[in-house]
Amino acid sequence: MAEVVRFENVGLRYGLGPEVLQDITFGLEAGSFHFLIGPSGAGKSSLLRLMYLAHRQTRGLISLFGRDVSTLPREQLPKVRRRIGVMFQDFRLLPHLTAFDNVALPLRVAGVRESEIKRHVEELLVWVALENHMDMRPPTMSGGQQQRVAIARAVIARPKILYADEPTGNVDDRIAARLMHLFEELNKLGTTVIIATHNEAIVQEFGRPVLKIDGGRLRIIPQGVPLDRPSPSGLFDVEEDF
Amino acid sequence: MRFRQSKLALEKDDSNRFLPWIIAFMVLLATLSVAGMLMLNQISNVFEHSIHDTMTVQIPAAENTIADERHANEALAALKKVGGVIASKRVPNGEVRKLLQPWLGETAGSEGLPLPQIIDVEVDRSADLTAEKLTTLLTPIMPGTTVDDHSVWLTSLVDTLRSAELIALAIVFLITLATMGTVVFTTRTGMGIHRQTIEVLHFVGAQDEFIARQFATRAFIVGLQGGIVGILLAAPILYLFDYVLKNLEEGLLPKASLDISIWISVGFIVPVVAFVAMMTARSTVLKTLKKIV
Repeated sequence: MAEVVRFENVGLRYGLGPEVLQDITFGLEAGSFHFLIGPSGAGKSSLLRLMYLAHRQTRGLISLFGRDVSTLPREQLPKVRRRIGVMFQDFRLLPHLTAFDNVALPLRVAGVRESEIKRHVEELLVWVALENHMDMRPPTMSGGQQQRVAIARAVIARPKILYADEPTGNVDDRIAARLMHLFEELNKLGTTVIIATHNEAIVQEFGRPVLKIDGGRLRIIPQGVPLDRPSPSGLFDVEEDF
Repeated sequence: MRFRQSKLALEKDDSNRFLPWIIAFMVLLATLSVAGMLMLNQISNVFEHSIHDTMTVQIPAAENTIADERHANEALAALKKVGGVIASKRVPNGEVRKLLQPWLGETAGSEGLPLPQIIDVEVDRSADLTAEKLTTLLTPIMPGTTVDDHSVWLTSLVDTLRSAELIALAIVFLITLATMGTVVFTTRTGMGIHRQTIEVLHFVGAQDEFIARQFATRAFIVGLQGGIVGILLAAPILYLFDYVLKNLEEGLLPKASLDISIWISVGFIVPVVAFVAMMTARSTVLKTLKKIV
């Protein structure tokens, strides 16, 4: 399978500060499903931001969809971003837009026809059980409903990669499990899924490969290997590939 | 279409609340400057085209009115024969008295006051005709006859008026710069307020142009609103100005008024301001976005 994400010796520092990510090297195959774990401040969010092109790395090489994006001109980034879906922990819905318009946003910026948008958005809102809340605005919706709007927005443009940052952070176990099954369904449809989480129980339960980040360094734990098993070559193993 | 609101809801910004009023004030100033500039231009043109081609013959008062009449008629007859003289017209004594009244008061109206005979001469400037030549021609009729060539003092007057026009134009330019500065500041503030929304738009694949369009459209609407208010504020002032001009003492200045062409020019300020605001906001957003990934 072709790799959709490739990091080679990637480092990141903010301004003149220390490197928050060091020598990150890994690859993710198309259609794979990974968890990204690590303690707070370990660099999870920074790694995610590099993956969804919110930041440029300080050094190293990043390829997405087989294309080097490290040196990609600014005006070409939106095209790459349209193939990536991002679900934020705080949802980042636009409060003045209805659920329908929030979900429609990626299609509208891509210039899709209104009739097409209507059909796809309504279909997706039915899928996330929000068909009766299309005209509601986020501030009037519950946390769970907002989360489903955020998921719908992240997947409406059929992204090739889906990043979810702490998707189960603010919901109870039942909804968390339901969400995870939703991600699995998307993965079965061919979407590469990366989920950043603190919830080790979910990671254990779903038994998927794990990207473990700590102190700015990445360790890759293959499927079935206990999370706390130390790397045979030292603290971190950055060589293993999937 | 279901999508009624802008993607950024810029209309709800506090930073946008005062912008229409600032633009209204700028448009008020710009309108007054433009109207003033166009009126000065009108006056300059009148000076240039109507008085510039004239000379004035002044025949000193004789011992009695019969002699005054004779001198004037002889001078008119002589002028008719001069090449380069298009027309000549005697200014009636009544009109001369009226012209002198601001300086001499009631005395100017007195029949006993000896008045010089004034003849307006329309000349062809391309012909080789000078005030000196006419003076030489007319002096035998009545010694002491003088000929004023207005072009000498008129040139410096027109130059002064043109300088005033340039100053008005410079004021319009400064007002435009100030408006642009205000739009830049407001747009940057707006971008700060909507930073998270802009980030979301980026993540869903929006081009910078798409985001810039949101701000540019809003700036255009605010520019139109402010422009219309500014014009409405300027209109009564211009009407008053026009009224004063129309009732000015005759002879002090050539007749000038706020004609339809000036009103149309002033009306154009509104779309121009809206367009400038739109383009300024657009370029500000594009420049600012380039600094982030």
